[in-house]
Amino acid sequence: MSEPMNAPANVSIDLRNICQEYPGEAGQPSLRVLDNINLCIDKPSITMLLGPSGCGKSTLLRMMGSVRPLGVPTPSSGEVLINGVPCDGPHDDAVMVFQRYANRPDLSVWDNVAFPFALKLWRERFKRSEWEAMVEEALAAVGLADKKKMLPAQLSGGQNQRVALARALVLRPKILLMDEPFGALDAQTRTETQILLSELHRQHPCAVVFVTHDVSEALLLGDRVVVLSSQPARIADDFEISEPRPRSTAWRRSTEAVRLEERILDKLHGSAQGQVRVTV
Amino acid sequence: MSIWNPAQPISHRNRSLLGAGAVIAVLLLWSLLSGLELVAPNKLPAPWKVANAFAYLAWDAENGRSLLLTATLWSLGRVVAAGLLVICIGIPLGVLMGASPYINATLSPLVDPFRSAPVVALLPIMVMWFGIGEGMKIAFLFLGAVVYLIPMVRDAMQAVPQTYWIATRDLGGTDWECIRKAVLPMAMPRIADAITVAVSVMWTYITVAEYVNAREGLGQLIQNARRFSAMDQVFAGIIVIVALALFTYQGMRWIRARAYSWESGQ
Repeated sequence: MSEPMNAPANVSIDLRNICQEYPGEAGQPSLRVLDNINLCIDKPSITMLLGPSGCGKSTLLRMMGSVRPLGVPTPSSGEVLINGVPCDGPHDDAVMVFQRYANRPDLSVWDNVAFPFALKLWRERFKRSEWEAMVEEALAAVGLADKKKMLPAQLSGGQNQRVALARALVLRPKILLMDEPFGALDAQTRTETQILLSELHRQHPCAVVFVTHDVSEALLLGDRVVVLSSQPARIADDFEISEPRPRSTAWRRSTEAVRLEERILDKLHGSAQGQVRVTV
Repeated sequence: MSIWNPAQPISHRNRSLLGAGAVIAVLLLWSLLSGLELVAPNKLPAPWKVANAFAYLAWDAENGRSLLLTATLWSLGRVVAAGLLVICIGIPLGVLMGASPYINATLSPLVDPFRSAPVVALLPIMVMWFGIGEGMKIAFLFLGAVVYLIPMVRDAMQAVPQTYWIATRDLGGTDWECIRKAVLPMAMPRIADAITVAVSVMWTYITVAEYVNAREGLGQLIQNARRFSAMDQVFAGIIVIVALALFTYQGMRWIRARAYSWESGQ
């Protein structure tokens, strides 16, 4: 593409004193998953939310402008502000890329990426010719322009994840929420998709919040890494990495990267102390 | 090759051979039992007698008419009429029940018990309500099939993974758009299965529906033949119904496979 998809978006996500509790099973006390989380993301960047499995990362992510979990008020207390306005559900500026990529098996690659425009909200904002061009552009950006007539079942896992990325990016979101999106990919594809994501982010700077439990992934992609402790999750560490992307293998082996990795592992293990059950 | 393995692939040729073999074996046994009169002819007519009866029913040269064609068209017409009603009423109801736990909680006590109820036992009530004409027959077929269809459509909707609803909602879809644009299209293959089952159920009930005061139809043809102890014609009639049911079933399976080819890749 000759020009970036969008100018850097002004956006802020502000989480204030977020606590999340789930009611305990009969007779059990309620379970606190998130404990007083304060986090502010106010520029287009990649923020990695790193923490042990089941620590409440996904729940936290869903509060940032996506669909809240069903059946329990989310958050239990605290406030979520997006661009300064309280937010309590799906936000127009935020799009989620799911762990299981949620591509529709009955729709072609093209129709999957064009799916948002089947919804009234987006159909009213764009003319047909406009959004058709946006779909083509998003498909080209993820390198699937030649696969647009295929069905998801005919694609590999990595290609499917790229379809999901294209569907999210087609709306040119200011906030891109990613819930362990590459978790199901093999190592090789995973690396390729990570590189693709940094390239897409360069073309279309937006606030990416990326949940992972993979330390290497956090170091490879993050402008900022927020480490969450295990239950109840608190922010155990929060630092920035200034090394530009894509980050080379040489950098990954550098003293800086190795020190950061040790720092993260230290926080993760430190936070796990005293826990009866830890799954990392 | 292992015989005791459900996943063992079987060639088309072997499948046909085994299937045809079983049918031929039954025909042979049938011929033996009736040919040697081991079973009385008024209980078990010989296959060739049934074939003769079939030929007579298919074309009665003496009167220049085809009893079978007339009867089949009448029965088919009733199944089609009731089937359209079942689809037009049952699918929307099932979709609504599957789409909302609130509607499901309200309607399921009214629908679910009938799935295991003896619908045939309701025939006298249908006669009292709808008389003994066409209305009763179609109402009976409708009731018999719709009580299967509604819960199956509901289950098809509920079986669609939540991810698709959530993903659509995340993109800014309204609740109803999530249902109409994501859950419903994903449920369609299983809804098609539900229609297939409903039509099969109607073919099993058609004879019952046509026992009461029918002047036409396959059920009436069988009933009439039985009254005159023409067992060969009873057999011929039953075989036609089985063949029709099988034909519609296979046809609908074929349409489903074509229309929802994406589903086989899942």
